[in-house]
Amino acid sequence: MQFRRRFEAGEFTCLVQIDPPKGTDVSTMVDGAMGVKGIADAFIVPEMANAVMRMSSLGASVVLRNNGVDAVMQVSCRDRNRLALQGDLLAAAACGINAMMVVTGEDPSFGDHHTAKAVYDVDLGTLLKGISSMEKGRDMAGVELSGAPDFLKGATLNTCLRGADREVELDRMKEMVDAGVKFFITQPLFEFSMTQPFFKTADNYGAKIIPTVLLLKSLGMARYMARNVNYVNMPDAIVHRVLKASDKVRECTRMARETIEAVKKEGFAGVNVSTLGWEHKLPEVLGVMDGLKG
Amino acid sequence: MIVADKKPIEEIIETVKPYDRILVLGCNECVTVCEAGGKKEVEVLASALRMHFIQQGSKKNFDERTLERQCDHEYLEEIRDIMDNYDAVLSLACGVGVQFMAEKYHTTPLIPGVNTCFLGATEKRGLWTERCQACGSCVLAHTAGICPISRCAKRVMNGPCGGSTGGKCEINKDVDCAWQLIIDRLRDLDRMDEYEIVTPIKDWSTERAGGPRTVAREDVQV
Repeated sequence: MQFRRRFEAGEFTCLVQIDPPKGTDVSTMVDGAMGVKGIADAFIVPEMANAVMRMSSLGASVVLRNNGVDAVMQVSCRDRNRLALQGDLLAAAACGINAMMVVTGEDPSFGDHHTAKAVYDVDLGTLLKGISSMEKGRDMAGVELSGAPDFLKGATLNTCLRGADREVELDRMKEMVDAGVKFFITQPLFEFSMTQPFFKTADNYGAKIIPTVLLLKSLGMARYMARNVNYVNMPDAIVHRVLKASDKVRECTRMARETIEAVKKEGFAGVNVSTLGWEHKLPEVLGVMDGLKG
Repeated sequence: MIVADKKPIEEIIETVKPYDRILVLGCNECVTVCEAGGKKEVEVLASALRMHFIQQGSKKNFDERTLERQCDHEYLEEIRDIMDNYDAVLSLACGVGVQFMAEKYHTTPLIPGVNTCFLGATEKRGLWTERCQACGSCVLAHTAGICPISRCAKRVMNGPCGGSTGGKCEINKDVDCAWQLIIDRLRDLDRMDEYEIVTPIKDWSTERAGGPRTVAREDVQV
């Protein structure tokens, strides 16, 4: 409950993205979360990110809640039709999950079940409209619900766009806010020069941006992202800094900490920290977030 | 063939309203066979629209033309020299033809006059039924020539579901259970042993996963 309360109170919030297990063993996920319990306000639980089959976001979110930490559940249009999406949302609300994100989901061809059939019964706008309807007590078919859910709603945002693409993303952002989205999680950010138009739009429309800070793991990862990941702006200075460092992991951790501090100074509503499986590094990455413990 | 159905005239009237000079463009292929968008339907629709707008006191010009195909550059070129005469084209081709027209005549508004429904066959005059969903990975060799993808409501691949009763589907008692048809034909072909073979999990990547599909044949390209 902590994330929603703090977010709505206008306090700086600390989110951590944590992948559910590919299997039934939740110990790594739970241990990772427990390591920063009390520092992280909630854990964003991706819904089979990159179309790789894992435990569902709903299931993993409930596991986290049962372990005393808050979870932000994701629902994806890729894998579920309107019945399943609504059913999961009702289940989530009944299990105490009060914050969620809508995502379109990558095509199955990107993942490990590339012959799977995607669903895409509804798009994000329709889904958000449906959730608003559910919150008013009626499902997407207009049938009355016995108890209505209530979510703080979020979506993803790509601030690394220029020209016409940026305009499209800003329009999409406005539509999302109109449909009830209150927070946007960005792609990994290493600097903030391109976020200004989005920051302004969020401000004008009453939503907030939460940048993702990614813990780099190696020089190879930094170089790969710089060359191949077109939705991330990887400054040369970052790659150079990793290149020059004798202890690259320590330097990457230091950079992540610095970026978190910078996010705070830039006036964002919070930060979303992603370690991509290196959850054991979370205490170190988050350890210097003085004043965030809450 | 691609089976289409006429759009309601009310919907067409609304979409052509903003334009004064309209070309009603038919197609001689699939939509002619299913009597939704051929020369005859072009004449009937254009006449109906003329009458409607005359009654409304609105001066609109509806010209008629039917091409051999609208999904072919060659035939679409035949109207290039008259396209400037029109504010919009009301195409009675399937969705493929309408889109090909839109790509070819970028600045001319295109209005679809039919709803494109499915790949099907003529059961009898006035009745067309679905036979194929173009999944890109045909299983008919193993299902007695009857498609469980297009003809089973649940697209199940290994025998009927629990909703099959008396050879009919649970969604509608007038719909045959595809798997009952498959079993009946396998039996008639004396190939029931094939029914025991479990079909592996379906590869849907050839259907729509990954976006619009392309067939590229270098052996026939010029």
